[in-house]
Amino acid sequence: MKISLNWIKDYLDLKGISTKEIVNKLTMSGLEVEDVFDQNETYKGFVVGFVDEKEKHPNADRLSVCKVNDGKEFFQVICGAPNVEQGQKVVFAPIGTIIPKGNFEIKKAKIRGVESNGMICAEDELELSDDHSGIMVLDSKFKAGTSLTKALKLDDVILEIAITPNRPDALSHIGVARDLAAIFNRKLSIPKVKLKESKSNIKSAASIEIIDAENCPRYSGKVVKNVNIKESPEWLKNRISSIGLRSRNNVVDITNFVMYECGQPLHAFDLEMLGGHKIVVQSTKQESVFTTLDSKERKLPAGSLMICDDEKPVAIAGVMGGENSEITNDTKNILIESAYFNPSSIRKTAKILGLSTDASYRFERGTDPANTVYAAERTAQLISELAGGEILSGTLDVYPNKIKEKKIKLRFNRIEKILGYKISNTKIKSILKKLGIKIISELKDAVTVTIPTYRPDIEREIDLIEEIARIAGYDNVPTVSRINVTLEVKHDETSFSNDIREYSNALGLSEMINNPLQPEAFSKLTGIPIKITNPQNLDMEFLRTSLLPGALNIVSKNIKKGEKDLALFETGNVFNLGSEKSNISTFNDFKEEEKLIFVLTGEKNGREWYGGVSVYDIYDLKGIVNSFLNKISLDYFTNDSYYSSDNSLYEYYFTKKYKNVVVGQGGKVSSNVLNKFDINQEVFCFELDINILKSINAKKKEYVEPLKYPKVFRDFSFIFDTKIRFEEVKNFILQNSSNLLKDITIFDIFESNDLGLNKKSMAFQLEYYDENRTLTEDEVEKDFLNLIKLVSKKFNAQLRGK
Amino acid sequence: MLLEKTEEVKKNFLNDLDSVNDNESIENIRIKYLGRNGIVSGLFDKLKEIPKEQKPEAGKSLNLLRNELTSKLEELKSSFGKGKKEGGIELDLSLPGRKYHIGSKHILTQTLDEIKSIFRGMGFSVYTGPELESDYYNFEALNFPPDHPARDMQDTFFISDDFLLRTHTSPVQIRTMEKMPPPVRTIMPGRVYRNEAVSARSYCMFHQVEGLYVDEDVTFAELKGTLVSFARQFYGEDLKYRFRPSFFPFTEPSAEMDITCFICKGSGCKVCKQSGWLEILGCGMVDPNVFNYVNYDPEKYTGYAFGMGIERIAMLKYGITDIRVFFENDFRFLKQF
Ligand SMILES: [Zn+2]
Repeated sequence: MKISLNWIKDYLDLKGISTKEIVNKLTMSGLEVEDVFDQNETYKGFVVGFVDEKEKHPNADRLSVCKVNDGKEFFQVICGAPNVEQGQKVVFAPIGTIIPKGNFEIKKAKIRGVESNGMICAEDELELSDDHSGIMVLDSKFKAGTSLTKALKLDDVILEIAITPNRPDALSHIGVARDLAAIFNRKLSIPKVKLKESKSNIKSAASIEIIDAENCPRYSGKVVKNVNIKESPEWLKNRISSIGLRSRNNVVDITNFVMYECGQPLHAFDLEMLGGHKIVVQSTKQESVFTTLDSKERKLPAGSLMICDDEKPVAIAGVMGGENSEITNDTKNILIESAYFNPSSIRKTAKILGLSTDASYRFERGTDPANTVYAAERTAQLISELAGGEILSGTLDVYPNKIKEKKIKLRFNRIEKILGYKISNTKIKSILKKLGIKIISELKDAVTVTIPTYRPDIEREIDLIEEIARIAGYDNVPTVSRINVTLEVKHDETSFSNDIREYSNALGLSEMINNPLQPEAFSKLTGIPIKITNPQNLDMEFLRTSLLPGALNIVSKNIKKGEKDLALFETGNVFNLGSEKSNISTFNDFKEEEKLIFVLTGEKNGREWYGGVSVYDIYDLKGIVNSFLNKISLDYFTNDSYYSSDNSLYEYYFTKKYKNVVVGQGGKVSSNVLNKFDINQEVFCFELDINILKSINAKKKEYVEPLKYPKVFRDFSFIFDTKIRFEEVKNFILQNSSNLLKDITIFDIFESNDLGLNKKSMAFQLEYYDENRTLTEDEVEKDFLNLIKLVSKKFNAQLRGK
Repeated sequence: MLLEKTEEVKKNFLNDLDSVNDNESIENIRIKYLGRNGIVSGLFDKLKEIPKEQKPEAGKSLNLLRNELTSKLEELKSSFGKGKKEGGIELDLSLPGRKYHIGSKHILTQTLDEIKSIFRGMGFSVYTGPELESDYYNFEALNFPPDHPARDMQDTFFISDDFLLRTHTSPVQIRTMEKMPPPVRTIMPGRVYRNEAVSARSYCMFHQVEGLYVDEDVTFAELKGTLVSFARQFYGEDLKYRFRPSFFPFTEPSAEMDITCFICKGSGCKVCKQSGWLEILGCGMVDPNVFNYVNYDPEKYTGYAFGMGIERIAMLKYGITDIRVFFENDFRFLKQF
């Protein structure tokens, strides 16, 4: 919210306090100043200029060449505005000034071949409003050469303050001044209302009835008759524009002014448009349509709080007035509305309409129910002062159940227990007083206080402790230099994910982090996706069901940037619906699971002096998966299964199983899928289920004594039919060998015409040992010879090298 | 005698290697020398015939021979595998070494790891919670009443009436307190989502670390001490800081912690919006209403909580100006850290 320091000074003497100090203290007491706009600073160098001559630009139809006098000299200036004319007083920016909008410096320039020495400014360029229809034309009374700040009284400092939702009391100049008064220990003076009321009584002119008192606890009104709607005077226009609003007419400006002064939103009805000169506050019983004063049709659900006359709605309570009863230039008689609405009712309506106004913003945070009459009278006073008219005597004020000030007990030792340091009782009491909080009874160790109704956020003892802490200053809370650490076991639920990342790094893979929000096509590829009900766009409409589509998307993007050789991994959560139809109403309706994916594509080794190019293939993927599982001590527990072409994602793939549960799956991504991602090279992926791995990994690793006796190795190679697979041979050998054979590795495989048609050679190394003794050559040789016989027979294979 | 024989075998072997031109001929040589009935096996058989005292030495030299021939063959074979014949080049130590790759952790993971280890050192445990969260955990139990404007502070992606993508890691506070009685001293890292327009400064998804400490005598002064210690360990010992009042529904009093802008050293620049300060985290004393939701006695226990955005911290620390680069996963970016 914008706060003008000049305006603040109407209620508070700030003499001797620098802007810097104000900004710092406000921020340090909870009203964070996000931006400071010092007009003296901003408009340095701008002067009133006189347009002495205006001619058409020789080379451009829409440009003019002007001669501008700054009181001393004449400058040739090119101007593009349609409204520039000879004889005008304008805002002139000489060379060297900095235009606020866009923050650029004016330099000598040639525009379409003609020299330009400065600029004639429009309001938006000066950030005085968003008007860019033409240049700003000043009153002719100003003398050329007068500084702009002096001419337009632009000597204000505007603060942009971030008001947190708990501080509705600070959404006005008096509200901010109240905090400043407490901080700097100065006196706040709120304008007194003095009304010159006519003899005729308001009761004969209008009436108010509240039907829904729960949502409208209080409704006050004043009537002013025979007003003259016209332009606002300069001072009011200045106030309105200083906080970034646009001046409309005197009455509308006054309602805005009073709202920004004291925080109470106001609405002015044209009294003659109210049927029966009556206000009825009630909630709608059915869905309805209503045209607001911005000429938009709004659809309202049943139960919306409306302001009505004796036959029809005339305003959406607390949000926006209706077109049917708004002030026009012909309005004569005005009813001023000043009400207190139930915050959650206003918020509900504003949310449904998607319409947040200055009024609804304040009502939904909580305005001061005690302030409605003051605000109505203050508005009436200003209207009669600036728009003429007679204020009818009396105030309509329907307030069936008075909202009482809350009473809270505050224990002094509780403040110390929360903050960790002692604030003296005297200081505590003085802070309370400065904030308008009254002490109604006092004990040795506690006080009971009443909370002013403009502070709806203060409801409990802890809220008071916060008030004391913030005014006393957080800086004064000590910063401890030692802490006690309790000695219970400190779990780390992320330790397994950490290990996974370490192992993946060690295998040469780099970590990526993807956005789990994806387009439908990605998510549908791999599961039953969950939809976001309010997505930003279709590219982020669904949650990922697997890490695969996101990974392929990244592969594709990298390839397009020329990064074609990738070794990546990611861990993260994926989300799947329990079934196609289920709507999520419990945690059982969906699954959120942590996954890990490995991704390989492109070249493993480029051209190097020690070897040629090699590209990633399925064996790299298998190797990485096996090494990874080995590292988390799973390789002996998992089985592989291989498949080809029965899967829509992979051309061929393998799975890893623990007992009968699949813990991971992956292989060569099918070209069908790759096409969707516009990828033209082979990609190998493997996705593992971390939750399952984690549960298996919980098993303890046990020490195994290193082998004390030598191993004995034997090699043989056979020529097989090409269709015989390594694993068949391996399993056969293991099943038929003595238990001294502990491992078999394949160390060579090739196909050649010399071997015969559809034949291949596979060479194996057999590893024999016994944990308890040295083997003899004879026992190994016996088993080895036996195996040669059996393998030859079983696979119709021919031993090589005989 | 046997020793001379080994030398001879080796010489013949090397001669044979010269004629090698494919994998098959390598395999033939292997069988000839190292096969079951090969020449080396023959030499091993002869071991039986020599005197006992010479056996160890002879055995050793035969083993050496076998290893040498095996490795020569392997070397040759691997060079064939890559389609390049080396034969053996003159030793040239100026050649670059063979390339080995170690992968990198994402810079966000590295930043989180650093934060985690600092808090682990101060006695914090680490807990996690789901990203697809219920309204109860994300808002209600954290003292965000329904229809309260505080909910506007966090633009939310909704899944259904009662479920949403968590907007902060604070729900894990509730989940952790539900699991155990005080004392609880833990940090809770994780991914969160906000329905905010994507730009250089904000993304619809990011990461947070939440902290919580509840015990009998936890104070705001201890909160300050702990976070200042963290900031000094993470950002540097000579750092200046300030705590200023703020608002979060689940803490009271609430604060935001700023540190001196380390780009302009406090004099004001674009990054710190001319203020000289950088906001690094939000914090406060746990609101008694939150304790009521998890059945902790608010008279007996007090606690503090804090939360920080990891992207923001990494951006400040590494001079990254666009949050989107974290999720573009450009391989060059990933390998950089
Ligand atoms: Zn800075």
